Amino acid sequence: MVLESDNDWMNAAHSTGTSIMAAEFKGGVVIGADSRTTTGAYIANRVTDKLTKVTEHIYCCRSGSAADTQAISDIVSYHLGFHGMELGEEPLVEVGANVFKELCYNYRDSLMAGILVAGWDKKKGGQVYSIPIGGMCVRQSVSIGGSGSSYVYGYVDANYKQDMTQEECVKFVTNTLALAMSRDGSSGGVVRLGIISEKGIERKVILGTELPKFYQE
Amino acid sequence: MSSVLCPEIPSPGFSFENCHRNAMLEAKGLAMPKAQKTGTTIVGIIYKDGVILGADTRATEDTTVADKNCEKIHYLAPNMYCCGAGTAADTEMTTQMVASQLELHRLYTNRVARVATAKQILKQYLFRYQGYIGAALVLGGVDSTGPHLYSIHPHGSTDKLPYCTMGSGSLAAIAVFESRWKENMDEAEGIQLVRDAIAAGIFNDLGSGSNVDVCIIRKGSVDYKRTYDEANKKGEKQNSYKYAKGTTAVLTTKVVDIEEVAVRSIDLERMDTA
Amino acid sequence: MSLALRPSFPDYESVSKHNNFNPYSDNGGSVVAIAGDDFVVVGADTRLSAGFSIYTREQSKLFPLSANTVLGCSGCWCDTLTLTRILKSRMQMYQQEHNKTMSTTACAQMLSIILYYKRFFPYYISNMLVGLDDEGKGCVYSYDPVGHCERRTFRASGSAGALLQPLLDNQIGKKNMLNAKEEPVSKEAALSILKDVFISAAERDIYTGDSILINIITKDGTTEETFQLRRD
Repeated sequence: MVLESDNDWMNAAHSTGTSIMAAEFKGGVVIGADSRTTTGAYIANRVTDKLTKVTEHIYCCRSGSAADTQAISDIVSYHLGFHGMELGEEPLVEVGANVFKELCYNYRDSLMAGILVAGWDKKKGGQVYSIPIGGMCVRQSVSIGGSGSSYVYGYVDANYKQDMTQEECVKFVTNTLALAMSRDGSSGGVVRLGIISEKGIERKVILGTELPKFYQE
Repeated sequence: MSSVLCPEIPSPGFSFENCHRNAMLEAKGLAMPKAQKTGTTIVGIIYKDGVILGADTRATEDTTVADKNCEKIHYLAPNMYCCGAGTAADTEMTTQMVASQLELHRLYTNRVARVATAKQILKQYLFRYQGYIGAALVLGGVDSTGPHLYSIHPHGSTDKLPYCTMGSGSLAAIAVFESRWKENMDEAEGIQLVRDAIAAGIFNDLGSGSNVDVCIIRKGSVDYKRTYDEANKKGEKQNSYKYAKGTTAVLTTKVVDIEEVAVRSIDLERMDTA
Repeated sequence: MSLALRPSFPDYESVSKHNNFNPYSDNGGSVVAIAGDDFVVVGADTRLSAGFSIYTREQSKLFPLSANTVLGCSGCWCDTLTLTRILKSRMQMYQQEHNKTMSTTACAQMLSIILYYKRFFPYYISNMLVGLDDEGKGCVYSYDPVGHCERRTFRASGSAGALLQPLLDNQIGKKNMLNAKEEPVSKEAALSILKDVFISAAERDIYTGDSILINIITKDGTTEETFQLRRD
């Protein structure tokens, strides 16, 4: 018999068709993400938090398969927690990024994960590392990821400036994500932000109704 | 060396010994048996004093109803229950296994197990099997840190939410929640909302049906209301279908006198020492 | 196995992917017909569905072709619409050419030919044609999708056909029973059995439910009746 809807969306892998971003500013980093999780055309979660804590000063932005990225960040958080205890101080962001890279590279055939690692440490201050599918690891002063990112590369290149103030950087990240979410169907919901500096993290939420508007009405 | 008296202890975990044989049979064109899937509506909400879980009671096998009144709200711990959708065997076995792990954990730590612990055990187990264990779960419970509700997908991803739905009827049910769920609802209001969400699944999704089961978990108490609402009454038959005596044909008859049944003695067998 | 899990890069795909289009859909539904000496009853459930969703709870699947002929259809609904439209026009053409209404038996033969005409792209329908024959006796013609036609006195078809037919064989055909009286079924008995078998079908078949529409055909014409079923 021919069943029209074989309920693919039930069994399909849950994936965060996403817009994520991280940018360095003077004194730290701003990370941001939309809040939509989709399974096919169905929005499985409209208030997802894709900014996941790894240590007090290291966070990651997840894109790709939700199951894979959650498992990876759980494992990295375990490793860095252990490493931090042995070290007697907070792990470096670079180390965190490399642990992520190691997992993403070694299991590149079975993982679907594009991760941005961002944080602050005493050695290098605010840092952003990008680990795309395949397991490369590269430091960038600003990085975007997920399906929505392709719409806003131009905007980022035109508007990012080194050593912005915190307020400037937050505005820049919010604008970028709002633009990405408005064009990408699998991104949406609210904008979640995190400002990581020496003091730790400060979280912010910008509701869907409060997002910046551009030429549209 | 195994014998009837001393059977070999089977190795733990799944047995994959028939995989190659079955792949060969399938390649030759044998249709493989299908697992029973519970086309389902399962839901959960957080309310003022805890968590309310809900489920329908229909189990389907392709397009036929296999079970008209099955239980989809599974026990995990005294303070935790878990609704299951997807492959019936997977939800059943997964929750049973986690229930036993949580009980051991409770005895070992001498504390009420936390919902986050159950969530982590479940997601790590499901992630290990990469979605081949087809269990979609709604996990709810109350612990020392308050009420918690998680939805867990077959690939091992989890979401922490104030209200969630799963299964083939999840769209019908989430529509009810999105329009009517509020923070800090009282118990009666919460139960009514859960009932209505399940009923939406029962009536609008063909994979869900029969009755509504509800489970209320508060701090320190649980109310498992099996068949909380009989959403569908069975139709009343017009005729009687009792058969008159002698309707069934008798093919052969044999009468054995009970006195003649002898006691059979068995000689002692030598122990197998080979 | 690992192929499915490997991330795909659509831009670099070297083999073209072609999607198969399936022109058929199964919209479910069951039809039951019972014929007696001077009547025939036919019932169809009114649920129209696809996959796991219900399109409507009140779709009649019975199509009157003349004063004493009714066609019951289940299966692919778009094919049903096309077939019944063709049948309606053929009935009208016959009426205007011969200045009389086509008999049930002639209808039955015509339907068989129309179905076989599309032997290699069939109408995906289980048809059941009922009416009164030239002697006024009730008759039921059942078809397969490509035009095989058989006259019977009772028949169940559609999504719950396999569930219902054995019950009818036993209750009306008096099969597998000793001392069962072989007497023609009365109109009242046929109606009550028809309702009862649908109650049972709605319990176990997900595509059968909501309500049934019944047509009772006698020499005085056709009367309609409805009966509620479970809606889950």
